[in-house]
Amino acid sequence: MAEIDHGQQLADTVLDNLKYQHDWTELQVLTHSPSNSQPLTRPMISGLPPQRLYVHPDDQIAMVKSSAAPNGKIFDIPEVEWVLPTHVSEKWTLKAFAAIFDSLPGQPSPHPKRPKRIVLATIHADSTIVYYLLHDGIIKPRQN
Amino acid sequence: MASSSSQEYPLVRISKVAGRYLLFDIDDVMYLRRSYNICSVFVGTIPQNPQQNVFMGLPIELMPEEAQVLVEKKVAYVADDATFHPARLATFDEPSRRAYVQSLKNEGKRMQLAMIESQNRNKPKLQEGKPKKKRKDGPKKPEDSSTDHLVGGDTEADESSTLFDSAPTQRESTKKLPSEVEGYALTPTTSSFLLPFSPDSEVEHPVAVDVPVSYPLFAHLHDKGYYMMPGLRFGCDYNVYPGDPLRFHSHFAGVHFGWDEEITMMDLVGGGRLSTSVKKGYLFGGAVTDGSGAKETDDDDGASQDEKARRPKLRGGPVAPPVRTFCLEWAGM
Repeated sequence: MAEIDHGQQLADTVLDNLKYQHDWTELQVLTHSPSNSQPLTRPMISGLPPQRLYVHPDDQIAMVKSSAAPNGKIFDIPEVEWVLPTHVSEKWTLKAFAAIFDSLPGQPSPHPKRPKRIVLATIHADSTIVYYLLHDGIIKPRQN
Repeated sequence: MASSSSQEYPLVRISKVAGRYLLFDIDDVMYLRRSYNICSVFVGTIPQNPQQNVFMGLPIELMPEEAQVLVEKKVAYVADDATFHPARLATFDEPSRRAYVQSLKNEGKRMQLAMIESQNRNKPKLQEGKPKKKRKDGPKKPEDSSTDHLVGGDTEADESSTLFDSAPTQRESTKKLPSEVEGYALTPTTSSFLLPFSPDSEVEHPVAVDVPVSYPLFAHLHDKGYYMMPGLRFGCDYNVYPGDPLRFHSHFAGVHFGWDEEITMMDLVGGGRLSTSVKKGYLFGGAVTDGSGAKETDDDDGASQDEKARRPKLRGGPVAPPVRTFCLEWAGM
């Protein structure tokens, strides 16, 4: 099963990168969906980043408006992220991304109605790994 | 209020000329922009300054997607002007021809009266001692000689009848009746005078719109109340604005893909990186063709609640097929 090996290798590489370069913790490779225990199309990684990786712009605005949380301290509590390892030479389709999202459980966040998100990790042959946030649906960009 | 007036607005006529979808009537342009999120691009030169191409005027050229979405929402229809004009003129008999010429004349008179009125309003301080100023404005328009003549006659009548009119020059032409002006020789800029008076009686043959493959994404975003502009600036299909582009920066660079179309990772990374660096999201999506992913995602469509409430309810409702969209942002690590 070359396909599984490929996915497993990518997952191992990304996991190492997250662990040693980005200081993520509680990392584990998942081969089955935690919601319905169906096998995932490829192994994914769940982990805890050292800081909160993503703040929804509405939360950001609410935070700025309420002076209760100065300096954004409230968002220092990180959330568990799901990482999808991919290789730059791969070709994906909308269908494949939709399948990935459909197999994932909802985000364990105070806003359960918000669409799901994953972290898309793309590996290049020179061992560069880039990370992008992929949202399921139309999410306005952050104010950065 | 907006919804009630939109019920009464007649079907907008989109002129198809040489494969382009054009709107010549400023009322239609304003109506579509206010009520239907259609901005489009001005492509006409400005008569006063035809040598520049930075500030353009009417007509506006609709993207084919915009024309199609308006047709599907039953707001507009597309007419082929190249075939319409000869065909329509051939049906004219003598009375209808005369009626047409008369309608042009009436419009010319109306325009001249409006012009005189606005001149009077703009020069309330003009004293009697400066009659030459008025002449200076005049010579460009050949009709003005007759106007001045009439104006003079009017003033005399004025002075004899009223005692307390301290500044007769200001009021001279407001008393003019429509029959007294000759009217400008009008070159019609729209086809409205050619159209039959009751549009229901004789509907033109609507022609089909050639839409590009990215139409489902456009229709989906339009249904959600976004404003779309052509996406060349950011290398995408559409720049997606959460409101009128005069008031908002765009939120997304939108790119369409087919449901089974292969997406190279380099496209995603490049688009995501560029979009993030210009404070946008890279939005990609397309129509769901196999029904597997048709579930409606509960989109937070980038607007707060009151923003959503302010959006006008569009006639025709959603017209897009099921579409799945994803947004990509740089994770910052």
